[in-house]
Amino acid sequence: MKLKQMAAIIVIAYGVLAVLPMFVGDIPYIMNILIMCLIWAVVASSWDVIMGFAGIFSFGQVAFFVMGAYCSAILAINFHIPPVFTIIIAGFFTAGMGVLVGLPCLKLAGPYVALVTFGVHMALQPLLKGQIGIALGSGGALGLLAIPPISIFGYTFGTDNIVPTFYLILVISMACALTIMAMVKSYWGLAFLALKDSQPFATSLGISAFKYKLMVFAVTSFLTGIIGGVYGHFYGVLSVRMLDLDLFSILMVMILAGGLGHFPGAIIGSFLVVAASELMAPLGVYRAVTMGAIVVVLVLALPDGVMGVFSKRLNNHAQKA
Amino acid sequence: MLKLSNVTKRFGALIAVNNLSFEVSQGQVFGIAGPNGAGKSTVYNLITGFYDFEGSIRFDGKEISGMKPHQIAQLGISRTFQIPQTFPSLTVEQSLEVGNRFGNRAKHDARRIERIIDFVELQSERHEFTGTLNLLGKKKLMIGAALATDPKILMLDEPMAGSNAHEIKALMELIQRMNQELGITIIIIEHFMKVLTELTETLLIIETGTEICCGDPEVVTSDPRVIECYLGGDDD
Repeated sequence: MKLKQMAAIIVIAYGVLAVLPMFVGDIPYIMNILIMCLIWAVVASSWDVIMGFAGIFSFGQVAFFVMGAYCSAILAINFHIPPVFTIIIAGFFTAGMGVLVGLPCLKLAGPYVALVTFGVHMALQPLLKGQIGIALGSGGALGLLAIPPISIFGYTFGTDNIVPTFYLILVISMACALTIMAMVKSYWGLAFLALKDSQPFATSLGISAFKYKLMVFAVTSFLTGIIGGVYGHFYGVLSVRMLDLDLFSILMVMILAGGLGHFPGAIIGSFLVVAASELMAPLGVYRAVTMGAIVVVLVLALPDGVMGVFSKRLNNHAQKA
Repeated sequence: MLKLSNVTKRFGALIAVNNLSFEVSQGQVFGIAGPNGAGKSTVYNLITGFYDFEGSIRFDGKEISGMKPHQIAQLGISRTFQIPQTFPSLTVEQSLEVGNRFGNRAKHDARRIERIIDFVELQSERHEFTGTLNLLGKKKLMIGAALATDPKILMLDEPMAGSNAHEIKALMELIQRMNQELGITIIIIEHFMKVLTELTETLLIIETGTEICCGDPEVVTSDPRVIECYLGGDDD
């Protein structure tokens, strides 16, 4: 997909969301759902870059999201640093954690990378709940309950004034999406794809596997950490329950629905899956079962997701032209 | 230009390359042959940094032992693989851009990519994803991507394997043009002796990682030790 086409899809997707508050701005429940779409779009897209583009089966993205959220919240609560700065610090902190996790993964093949990164995910919950987490200010099993909202020049963005908050998060989410777009369409993206397809061939042409694999860990963790920070300051509460498998699975569904390795498919997938999940709310306990069934059908019918089909049509059209 | 001195590679108890020494001069077409399992591809993997080894390999006077494959590519040593390697997610043009952007030149040069596409005759496939190419197309793509790195030495690993007579002729012409028109030093591993005798100026024969003989291809191919290593010795 060409840069212009990719940019157009991102602008249209965010544009559609941007006009919705004109109609539903006074319904906090729907505004909350829209904000969730914006937040999960960044996490799913970052995850898609590392898995779909770079071919690294990292299962640590939710852990990086939680690390970013906790880091920013702890700094804001305990050190009274304005959230605008703690979010940026959280981004750099998770980028560093991403590099730390990425280092051992460089020596490992696919399934072992998945095991190591999922191990990080699994270890994070007891760490935050336990004595070490409490000493760091995680709030233990209770979590964090009084996280200050984002405040810029005295204006507070929170659930009380949800429409401006929505637009702030939309700008942050779109900036992250455009950063990912710039990355995958630059020579970095070329290196990620080449390394995924054939590492020996790619390195024989001058690509450093060490540099670019660590880079993808750092950048995707950075963006995930940033949006994790935003999440904490928006909701005001954080719990280690985010590390349960619910969020992990739903994010995976978002990537698959959009199309693994078909950015900006993960953005579209996030919007569709959040909307579908909410529409299925009346199903109660059968919601998860229905969602699972839809995923099975989707994977069989559209293995490359919504964006895969769209990309194929664009390519066919370009070849005919 | 490239000098191997007493190079040895062990995989546990197995000695794959045993105290091997040879030298390749600038502008030469240098052949390496030997029976299956002789250690030919291992020698390539040692030169291009995929395996560590004992001994010394110097390129343009610089010791390259311990360097990573991408660093060696950036110095100007490029290679192809016995089993054709491609980037199925990328088009032909993008694959060449990889070599151009990350290789010896390390900058984007659209005109250069254009010239290489013409040189390897992949004009009509330029926008195709590389996974869809036929065997000859994949081999040309590997050579094109390697050329895009602006190599001083190009190492070809069994480029004729699996090719028919027409494809062998096309590849031989391409190799000759790379050497004569672009001035690239070529090292070629091949099983087809006819190809080696036609293309190379010096031919090295190895067996179980050890040099059997090295020199003029016509002389080397008629050497009794070479005939014995290919056809087996007389038990009586």
